[in-house]
Amino acid sequence: MKENQEVLFGLYDDETELLEAVKQAKAEHLDIMDVYTPFPVHGLDPILGLEESRLHIAGFIFGALGTLTAFLFMTWVFTRDWPVIFGGKPYWSVPAFIPITFELTVLFAAIGMVVTFYTICGLGPGVTNPVLDERISDDKFCLAFQTNGASNDSINSLKGFLQRTGASEVHQKVI
Amino acid sequence: MNKQFTFEGKQKTTLIALMVLGLVCMVLTWFAGGQFAHERFWTNFLHNVAFFTGISFLAVFVYACKVLAYSGWHSAFKRVMEAISMFLPYGLVFMLIIIAGNYLGFHHLYHWTDAAAVEADPILKGKASFLNSNFYAIYTILVVGMWIIFAYKFRSLSLQEDEDGEDDNFTAYRRMKKWAAWFLPLGGFTSAGIIWLWIMSIDAHWYSTMFAWYTTASWLVSCVAIIILLLIYLKSKGYYSFVTQEHLHDLGKYLFGFSVFWTYLWFSQYMLIWYANVGEETVYFQDRIREFPVLFYGNLLINFVLPFLVLMRNDTKRKFGTLGFVAVAVLFGHWFDFFNMIKPGSLKAAQHGHGGHDGGHGSEGGHDHHGELLIQQGTEAKAQFMGGGGHEVAEHAAEAGSFFMGFDIPGLLEIGTFLGFGALFLFVVLSALAKAPLYPEFDPYIQESLHHEVEQHAPAEHH
Repeated sequence: MKENQEVLFGLYDDETELLEAVKQAKAEHLDIMDVYTPFPVHGLDPILGLEESRLHIAGFIFGALGTLTAFLFMTWVFTRDWPVIFGGKPYWSVPAFIPITFELTVLFAAIGMVVTFYTICGLGPGVTNPVLDERISDDKFCLAFQTNGASNDSINSLKGFLQRTGASEVHQKVI
Repeated sequence: MNKQFTFEGKQKTTLIALMVLGLVCMVLTWFAGGQFAHERFWTNFLHNVAFFTGISFLAVFVYACKVLAYSGWHSAFKRVMEAISMFLPYGLVFMLIIIAGNYLGFHHLYHWTDAAAVEADPILKGKASFLNSNFYAIYTILVVGMWIIFAYKFRSLSLQEDEDGEDDNFTAYRRMKKWAAWFLPLGGFTSAGIIWLWIMSIDAHWYSTMFAWYTTASWLVSCVAIIILLLIYLKSKGYYSFVTQEHLHDLGKYLFGFSVFWTYLWFSQYMLIWYANVGEETVYFQDRIREFPVLFYGNLLINFVLPFLVLMRNDTKRKFGTLGFVAVAVLFGHWFDFFNMIKPGSLKAAQHGHGGHDGGHGSEGGHDHHGELLIQQGTEAKAQFMGGGGHEVAEHAAEAGSFFMGFDIPGLLEIGTFLGFGALFLFVVLSALAKAPLYPEFDPYIQESLHHEVEQHAPAEHH
């Protein structure tokens, strides 16, 4: 996370107003820093031009890794390392391996995706996350611009834009 | 928006042609179906009747779930589910033929209908209070009759919504909810008995507590596949413009999820039996793995590997091409699954009927060979067998190794019969669909359903 970002942001009361504002900002080629909403707003991602997350690809790879780990490990244990006969079954008893293989697939996929997600987002133990306004996790919809090194004129025109598109509050903050 | 479906003459002609094809195939099976032609004919009949009746039942069941769960997104296409449930009476009529056969002996589907065989068989004797023609008849008629009453009730209450118009009390909907609450336990528990009687009792000695679940899951996947295919077809004909990619995406998730659920039940049944290793239970899988490997492994490939790998991605559920392809494959796959449940047991019965004993059972040892006897045809064969012990085992081990079209894999006649029954099913469904508006204007959840959206990253082809 970058330090000392000067942020100008507007708070909207309603997601439809926010959607309109983002559309207009895109039309006017304004450089949006980010948009914060208390819940997923449908239709926002395509307007912002966000690409589909590739997290599920990581999930698939981790899952496949889990499948292989479980299956190959059990195969090695029960045929090479420590062959024991259970209940008169052969050493290499595939049906008995399936439940554990399934569990490890799920475990690897789940943990792998969480770790990947945290790494990508720069989250983790000891990381503090600056919050623009606590109400954006409650009932406010936030459209934010970064204003480091921007002239007063452009900051004022951004303020004007936010007010014009129906923001109920406009704030400046350094995070 | 095209709100009323018209069942065109051209569609009717095509379906009737397919029905005639099915009928021709059935007649051909009867007269030229190979060594066990009559057994093949009756198993084909039972196979298709059980398959389509079950799909129809599951449509009622899913409908009741939807109503009870306050689910909104189904509402746009609820008429399709209602139409599918209208096949139930036809299923009952077909089952009456099989019931009559149990009494009159013109088919040999169930070993336990043979009084002499039951008398000589301690296992069947022990099951006789459940596996007998009277119970079979009464249970089938009462239970399917009950399903029919519920199906018609849901349909009429749904149509009543249209009649009532704007109704702030949602009278019809609230009544539907009460009926749905009754139907879930009633339908859920009674369907298990139906499956035991219709399908599991073909392997009369065998039983599995997982079987009812597993079979119901098969019906459920088929039901979802048929809903998907009907919606894609109707959309291609210009109907259902208000059913979008979003609805089909969620139906695709159903198809994916319930395919995995089916596999879970399939494996649970298999693993429990494999692990316990009790001869009376393993014989079911022994027969299938040794003598019907194509059916056994093919079943898993079509019904698990294919939908799992293809539908795992997000976008394959949103493309009508891939979704439709998987739905067709899985629909056929579960028909195949029923084939795998019904045919091996009845082939065995047919072989026994021709006076002998199959090698597969010989190795089981232990108990009385009369118990394994599946006599079908006449007292001659019976007398011959009662006298002998297992001296024919070797002779029949050789016979079991040969290939029987229509039992080992579905032959062209089976496919034709399937198409015939499928056409009849579609004919009934489309006729029912034409009788009411496709768009349920006064469903309490219709607005929610119209605005259903599941995909955040919807690309340009969104609407």
